[in-house]
Amino acid sequence: MDIKHYNQKPKRKAKFFNPPNTLKAKAGSGGLSEAILDRSQDLLENHTVDFAPLAEIYISQMRDGITAAAALGKATDSEEAIEKILMPCVQLKANGTMFHYPLVTRIADRFVQFMEVVERLDEETIDISNAFLTALTIVISGKIKTDGAKHGEALVEELNRACMRYFEKHKLDIEKKK
Amino acid sequence: MAYNLQDIKILLVEDNRGMLHLVKAVLQSFGVGQVITALDGDSGFNEFCRHNPDLVITDWLMTPCDGLELSQRIRTDPASPNKFVPIILMTGFSEERRVISARDEGITEFLVKPFNTRDLYRRLYKIIESPRQFVESEDFFGPDRRRRRVEDYNGPLRRDIDENRDGPISPDDIVFR
Repeated sequence: MDIKHYNQKPKRKAKFFNPPNTLKAKAGSGGLSEAILDRSQDLLENHTVDFAPLAEIYISQMRDGITAAAALGKATDSEEAIEKILMPCVQLKANGTMFHYPLVTRIADRFVQFMEVVERLDEETIDISNAFLTALTIVISGKIKTDGAKHGEALVEELNRACMRYFEKHKLDIEKKK
Repeated sequence: MAYNLQDIKILLVEDNRGMLHLVKAVLQSFGVGQVITALDGDSGFNEFCRHNPDLVITDWLMTPCDGLELSQRIRTDPASPNKFVPIILMTGFSEERRVISARDEGITEFLVKPFNTRDLYRRLYKIIESPRQFVESEDFFGPDRRRRRVEDYNGPLRRDIDENRDGPISPDDIVFR
């Protein structure tokens, strides 16, 4: 075994610190009881904050991003253009379930995963983006505060299949990116 | 014996008022004595300097100053009263490259939204019971990024792991290659 690597002097100097654990000193030991955690979870599940007005703002930002990319009339690999569509969708993914719209989180999560991998915005990615946008708009405007049962499942699966078809077609590009 | 969080002061920074009130209410239901709030990274840093909290919980995507910039200022600004303070970053992102960039800005724990109260509690518990040592090198200051390695990461299949994981991804879940 070549042990030269392990015998080298460190190339960068680093200092290590162990700051005092003031949180531990104040909190003590034993954690929180299941009863407290259950009560907190109830609070999270039963709040009445209306997410729809904020969700509509995110949907509108997403639509603006898609419209701007489509208006270019040609494919673009601009990170800025991709992020204008992606970022509002990240917010929808993050907040959907926490504000009683689990289907929004599921749909948006699929789209975020898709957008994190695509290399450019072209006609196909814009079509897929529009399909996700339409689905999200329907869920929010229809105030569908469940997982959408069978229809929700079918919708997510169909959107997922659209992404998979894209990945299959552009396999080489995506492999190269990895 | 159980935790008594009455003397603990937490700074919560979040631009979504609904989420801000929700997380604040959850922290208060945990028994946290003082929850200071701010709506963006700039005012968050001002509140941090004013109150010197024991823990910071911040959202990532905010304008004009986001959660990563806030973290960087807490770790490096000469005005910062405690550059070692633990920071939990809340975000909708869970992709590896995003977590790495957060870790490189000195984030202690990563909490993926949506989350439940037990996810938040697990992060809090980890910070209290297993604090990270800090590292200062030429190009980094923050919690040690090498606490644990995950051996089952297989690159392109990471989303299979994401879907099967118990809780949110954390900086510990990142494999260094």
